[in-house]
Amino acid sequence: MLHAKVIDIKEKKLTLSEAEKFVSSSNFGASIYFTGTVRNQNNNKNVIGITYDSHDELVLKSFKEIYNEADEKLKIKDKSVFIEHAKGYLNLEEISIIIAVACKHRDQAYVLSRYIIEEIKKKTPIWKKEHYADNQSEWLKGNPLINEKI
Amino acid sequence: MKIKVELFGSSRDFSDKDHLELEVEDKALMKDLRNEIIKYLDKNFKGNINFIKIVKSSVFCSENNNIVSDNYKITKNEKIAIIPPIGGG
Repeated sequence: MLHAKVIDIKEKKLTLSEAEKFVSSSNFGASIYFTGTVRNQNNNKNVIGITYDSHDELVLKSFKEIYNEADEKLKIKDKSVFIEHAKGYLNLEEISIIIAVACKHRDQAYVLSRYIIEEIKKKTPIWKKEHYADNQSEWLKGNPLINEKI
Repeated sequence: MKIKVELFGSSRDFSDKDHLELEVEDKALMKDLRNEIIKYLDKNFKGNINFIKIVKSSVFCSENNNIVSDNYKITKNEKIAIIPPIGGG
């Protein structure tokens, strides 16, 4: 089971309670909740917030692909996965991403959670613009998208 | 033909709007559109090297949400998205 969404932060904030509701099941004995939040330092600069930009359709497509690849690569068939990523301006400590996974056993849950965030970093078209205490702002350089081309 | 290029991430600095409208020849390939974007940056931003680097390291997304190669044939009135280097999470 997969829940995948891009959340416009002007409409609502990301919350763990929704993730808990989605993944909790008596079929699974292990759950991992990962959140990414906005921190106050990067490259020796004082960060005050981050604007996240997203190509929503491609983001959702990549979340589904990552979920399906986990079937093939990790052989974890029974699982529940909740992925939400924020877009828009986030203040310090606000949640930019939630990845919640539930599996039968803890080994699978740890592996799956780590796999999903690392794949998102490589494949999911989301961008960050950092805002600094000196009123400057900057798009972070990022990595070229690794994807099969048609 | 006129092509609408949707801007994302660092390429949003290319315009005050969320897209560019560029003229390419009929049957143009994606690499022709990439060159047109660079020409646009030469004209409007005096060839800003950082902007050109963004274009050269970007991939493009077709209207039906596929990442396409430089040899992809653009169809008439197709909406294309530029996908600069990514970094979410």
